[in-house]
Amino acid sequence: MSVWAAEAAAKLPDWSGAWQLRGRGESRASATNGGPAKVGERNLPPYNPAWQKKFEANAELAKQDRFPDPLSFCGIPVGYPRVLNLPDSYEFVVRPERVWILTENGPNLMRIYTDGRDHPAADLMWPTYTGDSVGHWEGDALVFDTVSIKNDGDTIFDRNGVVFSDKIHVVTRLRITAPDTLTADVTVIDPGALTEPYKIVRQFRRIEAGARVYDYACRENNRNPIDASGKTLTLGTDGRVIDLAK
Amino acid sequence: MLRPLRSIALLLAALSMAYAGTGSAHHSTGMFDQAKTIKLVGTVKQFQWTNPHSWIQLDVTNEAGAKEEWSIEGNSPNQLIRLGWRPGTLKPGDNITLLVKPMRDGAKGGMFVEITLADGTVLKQYDR
Repeated sequence: MSVWAAEAAAKLPDWSGAWQLRGRGESRASATNGGPAKVGERNLPPYNPAWQKKFEANAELAKQDRFPDPLSFCGIPVGYPRVLNLPDSYEFVVRPERVWILTENGPNLMRIYTDGRDHPAADLMWPTYTGDSVGHWEGDALVFDTVSIKNDGDTIFDRNGVVFSDKIHVVTRLRITAPDTLTADVTVIDPGALTEPYKIVRQFRRIEAGARVYDYACRENNRNPIDASGKTLTLGTDGRVIDLAK
Repeated sequence: MLRPLRSIALLLAALSMAYAGTGSAHHSTGMFDQAKTIKLVGTVKQFQWTNPHSWIQLDVTNEAGAKEEWSIEGNSPNQLIRLGWRPGTLKPGDNITLLVKPMRDGAKGGMFVEITLADGTVLKQYDR
């Protein structure tokens, strides 16, 4: 390690260990699991009229349990900022030139460049699930900017129908705010779907020291495939559908 | 301002909703009747310690005296192991009792909430 790298590394915060989302996404802002929360308990995105309609149609599908969730399809990244809204554990790997967010659940990996580079030129970018992230340190806070996120149907924020457009641009501030508590202040700027920025807060708690992070191969034994109508099926060990309701 | 009793009732409602919501990482839990918990007593046919869900195949003798097989799913191994479960927790032939959120449509399936082993050990699906 060069002297520069050693000095830069010494200034970085300690985000070692494994972390778990507090409340498993059931925060005030929005819920990721478990169906629709009651009106008034959530802070819904400030949608423009066209996207409000889209959200309401999604919410109706969610009520019928047919709102498509990339996570249920097994093997597709959930996209950003949904990456911050997952069950299972997280790791935050901090180096002077880069930060990685690794999720135990699913094939999600955020690479955040902190070596001073900017986003690629427009002709070198195309929409991807996790987009392109560049960041910098403001004291002990990592501030990063994420663009070029595949959206408008490809990714969702939660299972209640919250989606964003392909104009989405996210600014995230990550820092330790209390012992073993990592807080993500997320601002979603989406001129395609929102009338003003949408702010979300997510908190992660550091789980016990030495905790291992495990393999999560969603196709290993997926006995809950999704049918063409979006319904989650249940299979017996012989691969036959056991559901009685159509 | 809410009176204390009402606040507690609301808090409990919120907690039970969060509790119900943690059941499945991989898919919606809409097919399970979260308002209902049934008790199943039976013999383990197979324990699948797999992703995205673990499964207990349970042989249960129904009220008519006939044997029927239930497919009961739960969390993935990474979550269960942090709650004290092990890949060898259940073996074919083990007699166990399960608390289950059953499928709404009456199919012989559901999501396990808690199991009690023959020696009285209780293992849960959630950490709260």
